[in-house]
Amino acid sequence: MLELDDLCKHFDGIRAVDGLSLKIERGEVFGLIGPNGSGKSTTVNLICGVFPATRGTVTLAGRNLGGLPPHRRLNAGISRTFQNIRLFGELTVWQNLWIARRDAPSEETGFMKNWFGSSARIREAIDETLEFAGLAGRANDLAQNLAFGEQRRLELARAVSARPQLILLDEPAAGMNREEVEDLKQRILTLKNSGITVLLVEHVMELVMGVTDRIAVLNFGKRIALGTPGEIQGNDAVREAYLGSPDVDIAEGSRHA
Amino acid sequence: MAIDFIDVVQAIIDGLLFGSTYALIGLGFTLIFGAMHKLNLAYAASAIAGAYVGLAVILMSGLPIVLTFVLGPVAGGFIGFGVYITCFRYMPATNMLAPLMASIGALFFIDEIIIHATAGSPLAFPAVMDDVFLEVGEYGFRGDLIFVLVTSLIAMLVLLYVLFGTRLGLATRAVSQQVVAAELCGIASHRTNATTFAITGVLGGLAGCMAAAAVGVISPLLTVPITVKGLIVTVIGGLGSIPGAIVAGFAVGGFENLFLLLFGVNQRDIYVFLLLFVFLVFRPNGLFGKAINRD
Amino acid sequence: MAYYFGLLQTIGIHTLLGLSAYILLLTGQLSLAQVGFFAIGAYVSGILTVIFEYHIVPGLFAGALAGGFFAFLVGFPALRIKGLMLVVATIAFSEIVRLFFFNLNWRVMVNGVEVGPDSTQGFREIRFYAANGWDTLDVVLFIWLFVILIMAMLWWLDRVRAGATLRAVGADELAAQSSGVNIVAVKVAAMTFGGVIAGLAGGLYAHSATYVDHLTFSVLLATFAVAYPILGGLSSVFGTLIAVIFIQGVLIEGMRFLGDWRNIFFGLLIIVAMNFRPAGLLDGNVVAQILRIVGRGKGSDGERHA
Repeated sequence: MLELDDLCKHFDGIRAVDGLSLKIERGEVFGLIGPNGSGKSTTVNLICGVFPATRGTVTLAGRNLGGLPPHRRLNAGISRTFQNIRLFGELTVWQNLWIARRDAPSEETGFMKNWFGSSARIREAIDETLEFAGLAGRANDLAQNLAFGEQRRLELARAVSARPQLILLDEPAAGMNREEVEDLKQRILTLKNSGITVLLVEHVMELVMGVTDRIAVLNFGKRIALGTPGEIQGNDAVREAYLGSPDVDIAEGSRHA
Repeated sequence: MAIDFIDVVQAIIDGLLFGSTYALIGLGFTLIFGAMHKLNLAYAASAIAGAYVGLAVILMSGLPIVLTFVLGPVAGGFIGFGVYITCFRYMPATNMLAPLMASIGALFFIDEIIIHATAGSPLAFPAVMDDVFLEVGEYGFRGDLIFVLVTSLIAMLVLLYVLFGTRLGLATRAVSQQVVAAELCGIASHRTNATTFAITGVLGGLAGCMAAAAVGVISPLLTVPITVKGLIVTVIGGLGSIPGAIVAGFAVGGFENLFLLLFGVNQRDIYVFLLLFVFLVFRPNGLFGKAINRD
Repeated sequence: MAYYFGLLQTIGIHTLLGLSAYILLLTGQLSLAQVGFFAIGAYVSGILTVIFEYHIVPGLFAGALAGGFFAFLVGFPALRIKGLMLVVATIAFSEIVRLFFFNLNWRVMVNGVEVGPDSTQGFREIRFYAANGWDTLDVVLFIWLFVILIMAMLWWLDRVRAGATLRAVGADELAAQSSGVNIVAVKVAAMTFGGVIAGLAGGLYAHSATYVDHLTFSVLLATFAVAYPILGGLSSVFGTLIAVIFIQGVLIEGMRFLGDWRNIFFGLLIIVAMNFRPAGLLDGNVVAQILRIVGRGKGSDGERHA
């Protein structure tokens, strides 16, 4: 599905991502964790094409994405959410989804209809996405007037609205309470069941451990471990990287790290 | 008419000397941009207004003429502070358009006050050392321009000291980098910004006096061209870059005078603008500008 | 009466000029190049009707296309840079255009009279309306036909996906890109459309004034062009219209008795307006309220995607 090969990104001599290779299988929920500054967000930005890689390749379903700008990568099937919420605040919830909306190949429409056509045609699909995100009643509210949790859900809905094959979630649970995290977990599983591959970058361990199939751990831009949640929890190198000591349980200890 | 090599060099020399005023104006724009990431379009107008106030006080009080070059900057400082209060202090931090537009309003306002007060006619401005003419080989240095250059250089040195040698300068840089963090360290961001505006105002007042002294007259018609040249200097130097503004100021002065010699007064500015476009295409971050930040 | 017709012409032309800046402001670009496109439209259409004796409609059409063409050309390099750099670059573009026409000398004998742009003397013989027997009312209606057409187009644009996309680019470029928006294409399209509107406005101006010279196309007019939509607010196309009526109608014409104090007033008013209404007169909340009063149910948002 998604393959990173020897991916590198250097900023003024700092190696934010340093020779990262990963293979994410179709349909899995893949976790990417690591201490602050370990290169997780940079990896997401490299996959999305926010900036070019210093070296290495990003391949999606056999197609090399090198040099494609973010909007072309969305068309190729990758959508994302942002760590710090980035909505179109002065547009309505509904419009936020409308912009990101991609049609399925069978419904391909012409340029005029796509940009200047009426919204009735795609209303149903968008309403469905709103339903999924628990925002059905808020379609006509301005995004900036939403509560924090709703804004997070809107970000997710906007990414889903693009009908991606792969969705990148950049710390979607930051600032959420237990209940909201549980909701998010259910939504991620719903995505998985509908055949979407998920790359989850997250600090909140109860979410990562509860929802992912496999996890890769980054430190200093390098992969230091790869395995199932159970394997990762028992990995000494990971504990060391996170907490400087191999004696602490990650799932509890790093909740507030 | 054949243009001699000597003429070319002489034109560049005169231009470089006059360019020190552009450097001062460019510094003002760049400092305010560096501090607040906002553009104060009223800046050149307040510079000219400062020079006017200085001149007016001298003419009315009969004090020695040289004091214009002290009173002008002082007045410029107060005007800069006023612009901050009226156009920047109470604006939402994330709104870029409102303060920009307000500063355009301030530009109109200051310009019209000057026109109203002087009935729109230009005033003679005192030149200093205009009877001096320094000859070096085949080239000459106009005394009044040397005065402009030396004064500007001193002002820049003082400015650099304030910015990099004092706690005030440190506060300014802290606020420009991280407002919230700076405030948590006990730095009042509004007061720091106000001080930045006052300091740049002083610089502007001086630049206004220098420009007027070099031209020999002062007129509200100077504001828009100086605003535009100052902005060009700021962009060529790199937004927010202090050495960039200084170097670009001299460069624009030199090129401008060279273009004047080569293409005449009607077409001079076309080539100055083309110079700007060359920079925008090939070095969009300016001479000393930082590359685009990560994330 | 002729006086009021003249004022209506000015308001119409300035509304178009303001709207040409409005569409770019929606994408978050502050362009002072609109006056350059305005000048290009004025000279191109003037040259066509005067030197080549075209009818005004193809003349205006060509002027608008020329404005759009140059906007398209400027768009690519200019939109690589952002924010304040763009402000400066677009000032420079407008000044280059102005200085080009300042130096343009193209005098031609047409029907025994020498006509055409005469560099510093300006371009004095743009008399299509008078030569074809249009009275001032005809001209007012002609201009407002275009104003209404353009306003209707922009109003409709806000109700389709293209309009929402413009605003999305203005709100957050990275988020827009990540939502699949080709921001370069959107910005160049907005720039081109803005150039067409400004070129059209320039052509109308040249024929109303019968005389254009480089002084008309100053940085001052460029700042007016962006001042209208900023003061009026970007939430609705009507904001620009209201700002033009207020500035041109009330402030400039209505306060003539103030003499040159009026100009001082103008600057002061901009400062005060921006302090109290930083998002413009018609900001999102006001628009929503007005629509609620008019009885559109849930307000602007309710009918935006209807």
